[in-house]
Amino acid sequence: MKKRERMMKDLEEDIREHIETETQDNIARGMPPEEAHYAAIRKFGNVMRVEEDTRDVWSFVWLEQFGQDIHYAFRMLRKSRGFTAVAVLTLALAIGATTAIFSVVYGVLLQPLPYTDSNRIMSVFEVNSGGTWSRVADPNFDDFRDQSRSFQSIAKYHADIASVSGASEPTRTTVAAVSPGFLKVLGVQPILGRDFGAGDAKKGAGPTVLVSYGYWRQYLGSSRDLAQSHLKIDGGLFSIVGVLPSGFRFPADVDLWLPADLDGENPSRTSHNYSVVGRLRDGTTVQQANLDISAIARRIHDTSSEQGDYLLKDGIVVPLQDAITGKARSSLLLLLGAVGFLLLVACANVANLLLAQASVRERELAIRSALGAARGRLVRQYFTEAFLLALLGGSLGVLGAFWGLAGLVALAPENLPRLESVSINIPVLVFALVLSTAVAAGLGAFIAARATSGELRKGLVEGGRGQAGLQGSQRVGRVIVAAQIAITLVLVVGAGLFGRSLMKVLEVNPGFRVDKIVTMDVSLPWVDDPKAKAGQAIFFSNLIDRLKQIPGVRKVGATSGLPMDGGLPDGMFLLMTQNEIPKTTDGFGPLLQQKERIGNADFCVATDGYFQVLEIPLIRGRIFDGRDGANSPHVAVISESLARERWPNQDPIGHTIEFGNMDGDLRLLTIVGIVGDTHEYGLDAPPRPTVYVDLLQRPHAAITLTMLSDADMRSVASAARGILQNLNPEVAAKFQTFSQVYSTSLGSRRFNVILIGFFGITALLLATAGVFGVMAYSVSRRTREIGVRVALGAAPAGILRMILGQGLRTIFIGVAIGITASLALTRTVQSLLFGVTATDPVTFGGVTLLLVGAALLACYIPARRATKVDPMVALRHE
Amino acid sequence: MLQGTLDLLILRTLVRGPVHGHAIAKAIEFNSDDVLQVEQGSLYPALHRLIKRKWISVEEGISENNRRAKFYKLTAEGRRQLAAETSKWDKMAGAIARILRPAEQEGE
Repeated sequence: MKKRERMMKDLEEDIREHIETETQDNIARGMPPEEAHYAAIRKFGNVMRVEEDTRDVWSFVWLEQFGQDIHYAFRMLRKSRGFTAVAVLTLALAIGATTAIFSVVYGVLLQPLPYTDSNRIMSVFEVNSGGTWSRVADPNFDDFRDQSRSFQSIAKYHADIASVSGASEPTRTTVAAVSPGFLKVLGVQPILGRDFGAGDAKKGAGPTVLVSYGYWRQYLGSSRDLAQSHLKIDGGLFSIVGVLPSGFRFPADVDLWLPADLDGENPSRTSHNYSVVGRLRDGTTVQQANLDISAIARRIHDTSSEQGDYLLKDGIVVPLQDAITGKARSSLLLLLGAVGFLLLVACANVANLLLAQASVRERELAIRSALGAARGRLVRQYFTEAFLLALLGGSLGVLGAFWGLAGLVALAPENLPRLESVSINIPVLVFALVLSTAVAAGLGAFIAARATSGELRKGLVEGGRGQAGLQGSQRVGRVIVAAQIAITLVLVVGAGLFGRSLMKVLEVNPGFRVDKIVTMDVSLPWVDDPKAKAGQAIFFSNLIDRLKQIPGVRKVGATSGLPMDGGLPDGMFLLMTQNEIPKTTDGFGPLLQQKERIGNADFCVATDGYFQVLEIPLIRGRIFDGRDGANSPHVAVISESLARERWPNQDPIGHTIEFGNMDGDLRLLTIVGIVGDTHEYGLDAPPRPTVYVDLLQRPHAAITLTMLSDADMRSVASAARGILQNLNPEVAAKFQTFSQVYSTSLGSRRFNVILIGFFGITALLLATAGVFGVMAYSVSRRTREIGVRVALGAAPAGILRMILGQGLRTIFIGVAIGITASLALTRTVQSLLFGVTATDPVTFGGVTLLLVGAALLACYIPARRATKVDPMVALRHE
Repeated sequence: MLQGTLDLLILRTLVRGPVHGHAIAKAIEFNSDDVLQVEQGSLYPALHRLIKRKWISVEEGISENNRRAKFYKLTAEGRRQLAAETSKWDKMAGAIARILRPAEQEGE
């Protein structure tokens, strides 16, 4: 650095000497001294640029100029604090929101599953006659496993809730039954103990279980001596053979894994009980695996004796990650798109701010340019400022995203998969950095192109009034505002459509009461023995009687499946009379071919109290009552929609049906009553036809008790827990209010509405601010002109009309583009809407009015100010 | 002017001994019959570039009209560089000439 100082001093002397010598030469040639001096300088060129170029030779030019630029940019940003604060906060909001949404998209959709070579892990489904996918029946899985050549290993699994005791306390735990090779498919090995061996899966083998790391820590005291611990799962005693690594919980929420089919397989090809995963062989593609599985599936379809709608028609292989996240994908991408729009609106605002800032600085630039600053250097200056703004905004935004993500995750619907893997991690930070850089590059390029176009020196020539380029930058400003309005309109229309969908959903009568109901999930071991089953019926009957004694509890019911809580099994039933019952189950085959005999319905086990607690209305006949004992004829209550569909123009009461395929009890059910429909699968799904059977006649192991209670949930829960403990200390229960269950079912809709609504409102505010900014700026720049008009006799009303008219043109162009774009875009979200069309005129009209109103207000304030211009003051302006 | 041409011309001018800035400018102008018109100022960044590469050095001296001035002088490395650059230049000039005038040569 010292050397450079010296060289530069030498240079100055040298140049002085050079010009002096040249001057002397000129004088010697007969020029007058003054002219000789100027001629020498002209011949030499721009001294300052020569000095700067020479300085560049001696410095790390790029770095040094960058330092200068940054220094200068900081000074500029500090000087106009208001501008800086607004620009940085706007960018922080947009980049922060985009980063937060991206972190969810990344965690759920993009981040590979945490298994070795997870992209080789596939899910296998049956494709049924309707084209939808379903899980796989045991014999079909066996065929897939034995006949396919695409998989290194393939396994089936099925998860369910079970009562587990034997550890430190009884729990309701999610337990997965898995076939051998399950861990091999996922590439996981126990950190302690061993994987299942062939011996564990054999029929009648000693029951063994693998436990999750979390369960081992919490309930088994991290004991390394596994041989000491046994777990009682649904009544059976299991020896613990291994502990799986921390973080491994597949399928979701599972803590215990047992070998499947300890009691033998289900021979039916239409009982779709298992999910299937397989690990592709090296070199096998997903397409090859698909052809392979599809061929096997179609062969099964063609040759099976169990023809009918429930038999698979085809098979399909998809990557496990897609299978897990498939349902969330469209909704998440929608949110990402929405937040991208918000980002655009925010950037447009900042671009407009920069534009206004740039025209204020025109003189400064003109001076710098006249003093020899190269155009490239000025461009770089603008880029530096844009980068500084974007990076400040980005950093602040990422901080905000950390905070916002907690709220986002809390708000996220429960059915959003992989939520636990969502965090602000390195890839998300990289995304934020790239995004900020892109924003900076975009803004920098825009403003540099605008500000350095045209003749910079004009800025000086026009008496420093800074009028140069005014027309141009005003026009660009208005184009930006129109674009902002268009984008905002799309966002707000989207928010409006989702909001109206949610309102329409909430208007749907669910068919049951929701408030003041405490639910209690209890599962007993699955049993087949009729006597053991009868014992379970008595257990629940006792439990119900005692729960009724809890103070504040008015009524108690029980059901195998609460509405909006996971759904019920469905199946085909047969209309038949007592003397038609075949001797063996094989005899049902031909009957299932007779279309006039079959019907399809959900199968729900319930008690009379269930209808009373949920206030499901009785339409005709009766519900279960004291007449329906375990040994009296079995009865069924059907839903209104089933009566309408299966017995049109007939009275179903008195008919008998065979629905034993659902629970193994072949006794006929006599229909005794019809009850109202319930929206079991959510308010936005049509009610399913349902057959209700009596819990006391058709016992069921996993039951949800419903208590209509004036007391609060906690006191009811603690009393109920005590009662359960007394009846059976090995069974655990889970308590919720029915409102929680109900509200969870609306989760994903609410999530979309809240987020897109938030984006829409923010965009609306930004766009309004944008309109206001451009109009106010335009008025302030035109103060002189307006003053002249007023002086020449223009009426305030005329001025108001002129300014408003100008604003309106911009607004209407924006709105027109926005409506066109919305019409094109909302069609893609039609499937996520409910009760409104994608072109809902109410939404479009309302949103347009709202937007035009807000924008007009934003124009009106500056326009009013224009009418107040005092010509005397205005003409003295500047 | 071609990038590097000015450097070459400066080196060439300094072959005859140390010269000060104004004289280099004059010499280039004179020797090239005013064909290579450059702003005289652009000489200086080039001089400093050559100093930085250690191809020339600078020393104090007295100019012809008895004033103190900076004299620029070819270093040994600069001399080698000049030779290398000159032969490279000759080759390139020859190549360009052959490309531009092949027909005439055939005609001769």
